[in-house]
Amino acid sequence: MAAADVPAVRPGAPPGSALAGALRSVGMSLLPVAAAFVVGAVVLAVTGWDPISVYRVMAREAFGSTARVESTLAAATPLLFAGLATAIAFRGGVFNIGVDGCFVLGGLAAAWLGAALTGLPGWLLIPVCVLAGMITGAVWSAPPAFLRVRLGVDEVVSTLMLNFVAIGLASWIVNTLLLAQGTANSASSPVAPQAELPGLGGDVTLGLVIALVGVVFYGVWTRWSASGYELRMTGLNPAFAQTAGISVPRVVFQAMLWSGLVAGAGGAAHALGVVHRFVDGFSPGYGFTGIAIALLARNGAVGIVLASILFGALASAGATVQLFSDIPLDIVDVLQGTIMVFAAVQVVDLRRRIRRQAA
Amino acid sequence: MGQILAAATLAATPLLLAALGGLLNRRGGIVNIALEGKMLLGAILAVVVSAETGSWVAGLAAATVGSAFAGLLFSLAITRAGANEIIAGLGFNILVAGLIGYALDDEGTYQPAGVATIPRIDIPGIDAIPVLGDVLSDKDPITYLAWLAVPATAWFLASTRAGLRLRAAGAPGDSAYALGLRALAIRDASTVAAGAFAGLAGGQLALGLVGLFNQGMVAGRGFIALAAFYFGRARPWPTAGACAIFALFDAIQIRLQQEGFSTQLVSTLPYLVVVVVLTITAIQTQRREAPA
Amino acid sequence: MAPAIRLGAREVTRRFGGVVANDDVSLSIAPGTVHAIVGENGAGKTTLMRILYGLDRPDAGTVVVDDEPARLSGPADATRRGIGMVHQEFKLVDELTLLENLVLGHEPTRRGRIDWRRARGHAEALAGETGVALDWDLPAGRASVAVRQRLEILRLMYREADVLILDEPTAVLAPPQVAELLELLSGLRDGGRTIIFISHKLQEVLDVADTVTALRAGRVTGTVAAADADPDSLVRMMVGESVPEVRLQAREAAGAAPLLEVRGAGVRDAQGRDRLRDVSLTVHSGEVVGIAGVAGNGQDELVECVLGLRRPTAGSIVVDGADVTRSTIAQRRRHGLAYIPADRRRDGLSPTSSLLDNVAAGSQRGAELTHRGWFRRGALERRAARIVERYRVHCAGLGVPAASLSGGNQQRLILGREMEGEPRVLVASQPTRGVDVRGSAYIREQLLAVRERGGGVLLVSEELDELVALSDRIVVLARGAVTGVVSGPFEDLTELGALMTARVAV
Repeated sequence: MAAADVPAVRPGAPPGSALAGALRSVGMSLLPVAAAFVVGAVVLAVTGWDPISVYRVMAREAFGSTARVESTLAAATPLLFAGLATAIAFRGGVFNIGVDGCFVLGGLAAAWLGAALTGLPGWLLIPVCVLAGMITGAVWSAPPAFLRVRLGVDEVVSTLMLNFVAIGLASWIVNTLLLAQGTANSASSPVAPQAELPGLGGDVTLGLVIALVGVVFYGVWTRWSASGYELRMTGLNPAFAQTAGISVPRVVFQAMLWSGLVAGAGGAAHALGVVHRFVDGFSPGYGFTGIAIALLARNGAVGIVLASILFGALASAGATVQLFSDIPLDIVDVLQGTIMVFAAVQVVDLRRRIRRQAA
Repeated sequence: MGQILAAATLAATPLLLAALGGLLNRRGGIVNIALEGKMLLGAILAVVVSAETGSWVAGLAAATVGSAFAGLLFSLAITRAGANEIIAGLGFNILVAGLIGYALDDEGTYQPAGVATIPRIDIPGIDAIPVLGDVLSDKDPITYLAWLAVPATAWFLASTRAGLRLRAAGAPGDSAYALGLRALAIRDASTVAAGAFAGLAGGQLALGLVGLFNQGMVAGRGFIALAAFYFGRARPWPTAGACAIFALFDAIQIRLQQEGFSTQLVSTLPYLVVVVVLTITAIQTQRREAPA
Repeated sequence: MAPAIRLGAREVTRRFGGVVANDDVSLSIAPGTVHAIVGENGAGKTTLMRILYGLDRPDAGTVVVDDEPARLSGPADATRRGIGMVHQEFKLVDELTLLENLVLGHEPTRRGRIDWRRARGHAEALAGETGVALDWDLPAGRASVAVRQRLEILRLMYREADVLILDEPTAVLAPPQVAELLELLSGLRDGGRTIIFISHKLQEVLDVADTVTALRAGRVTGTVAAADADPDSLVRMMVGESVPEVRLQAREAAGAAPLLEVRGAGVRDAQGRDRLRDVSLTVHSGEVVGIAGVAGNGQDELVECVLGLRRPTAGSIVVDGADVTRSTIAQRRRHGLAYIPADRRRDGLSPTSSLLDNVAAGSQRGAELTHRGWFRRGALERRAARIVERYRVHCAGLGVPAASLSGGNQQRLILGREMEGEPRVLVASQPTRGVDVRGSAYIREQLLAVRERGGGVLLVSEELDELVALSDRIVVLARGAVTGVVSGPFEDLTELGALMTARVAV
């Protein structure tokens, strides 16, 4: 952080510190990624693989052809939602790590309605299901939000715990209430055909468009709207925000709800577009990847897109690379875990600042 | 009934060990989300070394030391590099699971030949007692060790220099540091201890019953241990009580399923309990700090 | 043979940036005496104490220990030399009991475990020696402030300190507890220990000290034997004899409309102590009302109540005729309230954000900047450019982070932001703290400009000179209550000084 009493510079001088700051910021985002690839390279080398050629193959599998790019984008779609949902909360200084739970429950709600309301036409059914997902996600994030704002309960542990509750709850529901007829495994009935999100080529669905629209809107909103401004200031310096007349509790509460809402929408898009139903194991940790994305992107819209594509590429390439070589898919987890640990090193511990200053 | 209790007692051991480790860490000021990963690491180390050496003692030792070392790295990232402990913990879990999965080459289960499992100890005389006998007898030494660890931990915290200084280092604020205590080193030590306990827990999980490693075998126990010491407010005896309760649920889940209760719902109870405890604590704190 | 100087300073100078906290300070404390240091806030007392305790190092000059010059490498070094300090913020671990806190770090052991019986024996012995009785098993967090303080002192003795430095020890105590503490200190002195304490309470100082040194603006203004001094002479040493040049024309009570009224405000904290007691004041249009008082006597609470950061437990706040006691900060700002906070980095700015972002604060929902919740294109840039130019904020551009500005320029930015909306009432708390001379003069001019155009200013400042130069009236707070209101022109500061240190009936 810049020193407090740097001597004044004449107005009109080139804004050196602004550019340097931006470069430093980008550099700090790339460091965890670089570190992850180094660690991955070590792991590969130790087990007898040539890291460079492996990475080259992965890059080809991720972006090498139109079909591969589509596969990457399809894999990136749920991540965009998860990353955006997490970033909204982080931007407001709230460490919401319950995105996974909201995603799952949102998907469940959408899958249920999608299978139940077969009479509705597609153009109506899809928005209804997505809306249901959004509402479910928002409702699920309301209790920890309330606990944080009214009682000062640490949102990290509460949202983490509720993740597991959500997964267990959804698992029970899909195994009892919504269990598809005649299936032995835990899956709900498939959604009505008109509820399936239209595809855009390959595995890419309309969900990608929805997600991108969401991210773009988020970018515009945080930069250009008064409420986005209030969110940013609350996350950066709650004491200052309060003095400026911003209602910190209200901003925090709303940030949590929006976070849950977006996660729920992501779950709905995933249920309607990809899985076409709800199953046990609906989210293979999308929420946690979302955290890594938000950290790398430093909660910025452009970064969210880039990081989501990165992780989508890893997931998609990892899956296909596994098919014709012997490299286990787990290398992706190794990369992701390393990114999270390294990204964590740079995150200023906003929680402590918030606790010290907030009312 | 006796069978259920016996099963519950066995199931409680890894929980108890991991929870005690997490408790020590918490007293030192760090919330260790990575118990899960450390248990997993302990489990695989135990199986590998036990198969190599034919000795379960060596296997457990490897598990303990290996996870303790991992705990040290984890702790340094937090205390020296300023990493956020929650995110680093989540990342650590994913990283460890990934490394192990990678090493196993997607086999899922690893069952080498010659894995020495932990023997059971039959206490003659006691095992004849109904109910209590099922609980007390026919357990492996690590289980007995875990039971002893509860009063030992309580004694450690209350009556030793290290325990007192641990409690001081874990309190918010810089008082410990201002008094000349090396708070960071103490915190590191508590994380290493948590790693050691969790590693031993994972080792016992692998070698105590099944003698093999499966990628999914920890199955969230690391998080349940977290729930346990949150429930126990980082005190040894209530934490042990929580572990006993959670293990009991685990053991009777088949029975519950027959009665119509869903395992999935029951499995969420420990986590809900944590949220409830957090809420109650917060309400109490608020009431205490309210203006007269 | 006992040294002549157990602890002291010789020509100690310490600078922070452009500010000289200690200027050629020399001080000698004889063993077995109680030596008091008095002075206003900002006079350099705490800096000097930190240097004597090894928490800080002088830029020039040296610390003297046992007649010899010494370099203290840190608190551990000081402890080894028998010097101990009780800070204003106690360093106790709330979760541990009093006994555990006492022995922490130096626990007596027996065969690997703590020997609690021996520890308790030590504790009782110390308690007996000082005539205090403590419930040793009470968690420190639940003990009263007086008990916690006593424990801090006992802990120093447990670590065998014979020099005890106490920073404002009576500030947190109620009068009966103060008497107990003074008795304790006298007893310790009689037992051969050396006590140094900082205080504003002149009567207490005279009651217990043997020698008194006064500091003003970093310099020693006098050292006297307590027997030869009285409160008046001490005040003169603290605030000086000179009359500051009068910068204001005497003005009749601005009979104009009251812009800010505080009516019977009271604040009671969680411990049941009254931080503010039945405080009433009025700021009229075209008037600057200064709040004088020793730090910690209710000024912060008063400002928080006026601004809306805290709800008073009694009384009401009226801004421009509207009762805002239940209103939010945003609503009060809409009524014309503006605020320059004392802690600009925490409350006045977002240091990592750009100047643009910082300028929007407080008016991010106003019509000038936004339309239906969205920022108007270019409006923010225009406003920021206007402020930067009008208030002469030196910066490298509008996009730079606020932290890259110097303190003075940061304050200009805040000032400009708050004044752009032509506020009816401007609350300024320590507006020139950490600001260079030229910047301070500019800020004071601007405060007067608000007064000129008919606004009202509530000025809280620890610098008496500043208050005297700018205020039409000065309200003095002591122990949370108004001890007096003095109208300008101010010819003699001793009256103010006396009001600031007056006893308040509790």
